[in-house]
Amino acid sequence: MSTANHIAIEHLVKRFQEKAVVNDLSLEIEQNELFVLVGPSGCGKTTTLRLLAGLEPVTSGRILFGDQLVNEVRPRDRNIAMVFQDYAIFPHLNVFENIAYGLRSRHAPREQIRERVPEAAKMFRIDHLLKRKPRQLSGGERQRVALARSVVRDANIYLFDEPLANLDAQLRHQAREDILLLHRAKGKPGVYVTHDQSEAMALGDRIGVMNDGQIQQIGTGTELYDFPRSQFVAFFIGTPSINLFEVEVQASGDDLTLVHPAFALELPPELSEKARPYTGKRINLGIRPENLHTPRGVDFPVNAGNTLKGVVNVIEPATTGCTVYLSTLEEEPEDFVATFKSRLPASYIGKEVPLAVNMRKIHLFEQESGHALLYN
Amino acid sequence: MTSVQLRQVVKEYDSLDQVTLTGYKNPPALRTVSLTIENGETLCIVGPSGCGKSTLLKVVAGLEFPQSGQVFYDDFDMTEIKPQDRGVGMVFQDYALYPAMKGKGNLAYYFQQHQHSQQEMEERVRQTSVLMGVDFDLLLGRAPDTLSGGEKQRVAIARCIVRDPLVFLMDEPIVNLDAKRREQTRLEIKKLLRKFHITTIYVTHDQQEAVFMGDRLAVMRDGVIEQVGTFDDLYYTPANLFVATFIGTPQINLLPAEITAGHINMAGQSWDLPETLAGALVPGKGRVGVRAENWLLSETAGVPLLVSHIERIPTERAAFLHGTVSGTSVVAVAPLEQPEVKSVLITPDWERVLFFSEKGEEVIYTPGPPEFF
Repeated sequence: MSTANHIAIEHLVKRFQEKAVVNDLSLEIEQNELFVLVGPSGCGKTTTLRLLAGLEPVTSGRILFGDQLVNEVRPRDRNIAMVFQDYAIFPHLNVFENIAYGLRSRHAPREQIRERVPEAAKMFRIDHLLKRKPRQLSGGERQRVALARSVVRDANIYLFDEPLANLDAQLRHQAREDILLLHRAKGKPGVYVTHDQSEAMALGDRIGVMNDGQIQQIGTGTELYDFPRSQFVAFFIGTPSINLFEVEVQASGDDLTLVHPAFALELPPELSEKARPYTGKRINLGIRPENLHTPRGVDFPVNAGNTLKGVVNVIEPATTGCTVYLSTLEEEPEDFVATFKSRLPASYIGKEVPLAVNMRKIHLFEQESGHALLYN
Repeated sequence: MTSVQLRQVVKEYDSLDQVTLTGYKNPPALRTVSLTIENGETLCIVGPSGCGKSTLLKVVAGLEFPQSGQVFYDDFDMTEIKPQDRGVGMVFQDYALYPAMKGKGNLAYYFQQHQHSQQEMEERVRQTSVLMGVDFDLLLGRAPDTLSGGEKQRVAIARCIVRDPLVFLMDEPIVNLDAKRREQTRLEIKKLLRKFHITTIYVTHDQQEAVFMGDRLAVMRDGVIEQVGTFDDLYYTPANLFVATFIGTPQINLLPAEITAGHINMAGQSWDLPETLAGALVPGKGRVGVRAENWLLSETAGVPLLVSHIERIPTERAAFLHGTVSGTSVVAVAPLEQPEVKSVLITPDWERVLFFSEKGEEVIYTPGPPEFF
């Protein structure tokens, strides 16, 4: 079943006193896979990483590297390489010695060090900095020293703990390429922790969304985005976030309508079956920003049953088009967001506009459990 | 409501104790900076870490005094005036709360310090909580350390509003929040700034945040303001290469090119020089600047982009192809459904490209904002 480099986590639990910070977590990471654990602060993702590394003892559950149970194995014997948020490079050593550190402490032969270190430095474009000390480097350069130090090792698994969080936003985009460079060079499993879902989407082969110590859903970025199984995942993945409205399901004959103080949307027949049990009840409607359109540009018929009105508050330019922040027309306005393919002129700010909703792309969630109704 | 003007401000930190063994001194934090922030506008100052943006904010506040130059609020010279007498409100990245007090106490602190009546204080607190929106009432009864990061930040902002400041100064107020919280909090801040029409200076290193928050942006580097303008000004008509690469995500792609009579040669291929460019460009070497959304993808014509990975962004209905063209990093926008490929052929939309000098930062030509009609 498992190759030497397949990582398995089975029913992992970590308690700090009373609180289960990691609460029955199971997952498998394939060889060659960069698996991203993403979730809000306090969800247990960093603790999970530290358990994988052996930096914390497990409360219960199993961690396997290939066929080997590693629960009781010390971090240094697990043969992991870790890249930290604050780089953790030694201030008293120069760049060369920092990169060489892991090899030296494992008594690697001199020739290997002399060969691998400059190679690793070149890969991350810091080969001209080998004699410098960390205090003479920028944040981005220090991060690349940390990456070079990892690439020089032959570890079983590469762990990344929010490595880009301390970098300026602009550098973060460039540094993502370096992370991929490291991961592809080694061909080993990688586990990457971040709170930033766009980073998760950009880097992960598969993504595990965590909340309150548990995995909510695992899948590729596209799977999580198109088929979120819970309201939490639907809201967490995707930026700008999905718009959520509380609606009441009302029936008139066979047709179902989602009723809200500011709008009433007709549910297409193919989606009615799953929503029918909730007739007369309240559920949550999720509409992604890109499924709100200017009525002119759409390829489906627009009528009162699939239109939503709002007042434009902010127009933000995006790479292609713009993001428009609106609020509904009711006594207590609710904020929502639409993304357009072209740039809406600033003259629309403060104006009331109609938006066509692509009703075939909506999401519905049960209120108490947060479960998605339309696919599960 | 006030306008703020910096006139020729120079700020150097004491250099004596900055001399290292190699004799290197810290350069000036602000090098002859002049800037006007209009009454009621939000101006975002953006730039990489260390560019001097926080120092500029401190000079406006009076937390730092310049070596030369002046700070004016409307027609009043504030250069020598202490911060507490300038009527500024400040929100920092570490929230600046006083932990011993409950939420309401934090607002009242200002009045206690300034000896206003209890009644005045209550009224102001009440008004502010209404302005901040319904749930702020909940915040008033709670001690600061039970509040989340985003909530603490809103209390900090409310404290500023209560003071009815002439000028609102914010220094990376949301940098410490989770990405998701940041999204939510920045919209709240933007709505508040709009509502109160307070002259605001907002400092951040994140250009996407600056673009969202600001009516105008000032891009800084190494103590100098490189350009001031709206997003459109900076994006379509950058003053130099630094501004062109700093504003816009993904970063603009730069490729060496050569103009000959009637042709552009780039990445081993040649195109006819369009009319619009023929008049603006002289023969010679330079660099072409192509924004990710200005590449045209094709099956048959163009230069090969060797794709290293595809980043799909459903909310933008687009995919970003990351790769290289003749060894240079390039990012090109493709449709969201773009299939996984090892390479695609891309051509610049020559009507939309910028031209830069072969070396250095000079902008030779920009097409300006696009025509829609």
